[in-house]
Amino acid sequence: MRGEPILEVSRVRANRGHGRHRLQVLAETSFAVHAGQSLALVGISGAGKSTLAQVVLGLHAAANGQVCVQGKKWADTKLRPDRRRRHLVQGVPQDPAAAFVPRWTIRSSIEQAIKRLTDSTMSEKLMLEAAELAHFDPQLLNRHPAQLSGGQLQRAAITRALAVQPAVLVADEPTSALDPDTGESVLTALLDSAEQSNIALLMVTHDPHFAQRCTGMLTLHPPTPDF
Amino acid sequence: MRHTNALGLISRILSGVGLLLVAGALPWLSRTDPAAAILRARYAELEPTEQALAAIRDQLGLDQGPITMSLQWWSAVLRGDLGNSWVSGTEIGPGLLQAVGVSATLTMFAVIVALMITVALVTPAALRVLRDVPQRGSGPVGVALTALPEFLLASVFLVVVGVQLQWLPPYGWTGIDTAILPALALGIPAGGLLGRLLADAISGVAAERWVVIWRLAGAGHRVILAGVFRRASAAVIDQLGLVFIGLLGGAVAVEQVFAIPGLGRYLLGSANSQDIPALQAGVLFMAFAALCVGLVANFLRRLLRGGALPAGSLPPAPEPRNDGRIARWTAVIALVLLLLILVFGLPRDPFLISHDRLAPPGLSLPFGADASGRDLLARVAHGTISTLTPAFVIVLCAILVGLLLAVFGEVARGPAEIANATPPILAGVIIAALLGPSVGAVTIAVLWVTWPPLATHAASLLEEAKAMPHIGWLALAGMSKAEIWVRHVLPAVLPALLRHGMLRLPGVALALAALGFLGLGAQPPQPEWGLLLAEGIDYVERAPWTTIAPALALILTSVFAVALAGLRRPPSSSRHGRNHGGKGVEKESLQLADNPKSMALTGK
Repeated sequence: MRGEPILEVSRVRANRGHGRHRLQVLAETSFAVHAGQSLALVGISGAGKSTLAQVVLGLHAAANGQVCVQGKKWADTKLRPDRRRRHLVQGVPQDPAAAFVPRWTIRSSIEQAIKRLTDSTMSEKLMLEAAELAHFDPQLLNRHPAQLSGGQLQRAAITRALAVQPAVLVADEPTSALDPDTGESVLTALLDSAEQSNIALLMVTHDPHFAQRCTGMLTLHPPTPDF
Repeated sequence: MRHTNALGLISRILSGVGLLLVAGALPWLSRTDPAAAILRARYAELEPTEQALAAIRDQLGLDQGPITMSLQWWSAVLRGDLGNSWVSGTEIGPGLLQAVGVSATLTMFAVIVALMITVALVTPAALRVLRDVPQRGSGPVGVALTALPEFLLASVFLVVVGVQLQWLPPYGWTGIDTAILPALALGIPAGGLLGRLLADAISGVAAERWVVIWRLAGAGHRVILAGVFRRASAAVIDQLGLVFIGLLGGAVAVEQVFAIPGLGRYLLGSANSQDIPALQAGVLFMAFAALCVGLVANFLRRLLRGGALPAGSLPPAPEPRNDGRIARWTAVIALVLLLLILVFGLPRDPFLISHDRLAPPGLSLPFGADASGRDLLARVAHGTISTLTPAFVIVLCAILVGLLLAVFGEVARGPAEIANATPPILAGVIIAALLGPSVGAVTIAVLWVTWPPLATHAASLLEEAKAMPHIGWLALAGMSKAEIWVRHVLPAVLPALLRHGMLRLPGVALALAALGFLGLGAQPPQPEWGLLLAEGIDYVERAPWTTIAPALALILTSVFAVALAGLRRPPSSSRHGRNHGGKGVEKESLQLADNPKSMALTGK
């Protein structure tokens, strides 16, 4: 099943801040992830793991290099992801509440995303399929984010990401806010769903045990000051 | 961030240059045809023919366009030539100098009064430092002293001390006895404000950790007091500068009430007669004085703090500690009384002349009648509407402008600083001179001084809103930037901003009334609070109720404004999920505690 990688990150560097306060936070990094595979990003704090996740998600512009998805350019130093391809890369945030608008129900947040990102008219079907993949109880769809527990909300966030049928899933420490048991089951849900849907999974994590369960691992090192 | 600093600097320089150009081009900006005004004033016997008008336009250089005109004016000013008055045709310099002399003397007396009040207000806090007992903050006396804007205080002094008791001469500028009342009217609110700020600063500083360490090290009480005082005065020295500028030029109303030929009255007179060169000279002097005071204050602050400090190296400014419960009750009572006036007054006709002239108050006529025989209750009630409507418009526009400029960020820095340092009365005088006195003119003037704090607040709220985690992730759901802004950022920001705007409403209404009182706003026979007070003062000896009725409404509004600013929202009242800006507005409302007053006083 080798062949063209789904996600290809080449020579990406990233900065934070402007002008005098500009600081390089991500050393030059290159890697590729194939469909159905999972790559764990590990490294000490300040190595640029979360920034790399944001660059891949298209939320932060890279300072150098480019990100390709399915062989086509997805993001580089200026390019913002094309709206028609936006559904290809989705994410699961560290704080799952970030994936939902607080005053909307889980259902309307997910419906909005499906309506905007896909041509599908069967948003209910997509949503239920995704919920099954993510081990999320569909009964909870009508609740507000504040009415769910941390683990439920994290599964809801995975549901939201899977509902638009992405090719790449980026998870930024998806279990860091959860207790070990819940974290374990959320991680299982994440890895299973990625494998079943043939998604390329990029997972930022601190936990070496979790990293072992991915098919690959990449250790990032903090950038050395360049002046 | 260097590039934003540079942007702020460029914005400041550009707005400074813009301001200089505008000052020089005022005659060109004036909406009324100055040629006709000059012809009427100087050559009453001449027919206003096209030829004559053209000759005057030519003589003034009105055809050259604003920039040439501005440059010419500035080159003349730098040579010491302030030009000739359009009305009298005489040179402006000597007249202005005389007015400035009078104003400087009056300011000196007012500063003495203000300092005495400041000392009285600060003494308890200083004594507590000496005795090492817990601080209590400035207390209600300071609030009471700052409750009344100076045009109201001046009117009350004139009525009570000058006319009823006849202890002091009611007007004129002939000796020290004529200076006492105006100095009190100017000095009491200024001293109250300064004393309150300084007392609060002292109680805040006295709680800082170094004070404890100094005590443990065995420092004497006096040494500690001196240290506390130095830190506290560094915190309020900017306010001192603004108060001083306010005394010098914002004293228009007080000089008008007591008929003192100072700078304020000079400005007002030239605005009313649309004598633009005289106005230009007055404004130039004011701006120069403001610049000097600002530089001196800046220098003193550095001296007191021992050098320039990077931002964030000092603990935040002390919070006023007044009792929330008293403030709430005062606000409610003032509001209920105002509503009562509205309920009983609105059904009555404010224009109908159906009573005896100056009829005294009675059962059918609770507030009496004015000089034309109109019902004063009706006029005050309808005056509420015609004062509060523009106030609402101003607050809403200020929120809108604030939001827009907050988006531009540092680019708006220069205009914001200039607007922040403009006393509202000065803005009113300039705009009324350009557009002619009208409600629209004073609305623009008060809007000009109202938007900066709202823009600052909007900027911090927007930053907070954009930092909310779910806002960043909305892009993943395919939302465009514009849509995120309109549907998610704005709704998170608006409630807090609207609350802040509404807190400023009474202060804005008072600033409008102050301008109305000077005749720059609504014109007779419109019922407007400031105008009603100005009309009533003429009859104060025969029929004091003509003054009391509008003054009552204004005092209630002032009390409401001060009480409202003293309110602190209980932390438990924050609504779930939506209340992202709650913290911001709290901070802002605390700063506001010093503000409705200084709105009228200094325009801070």
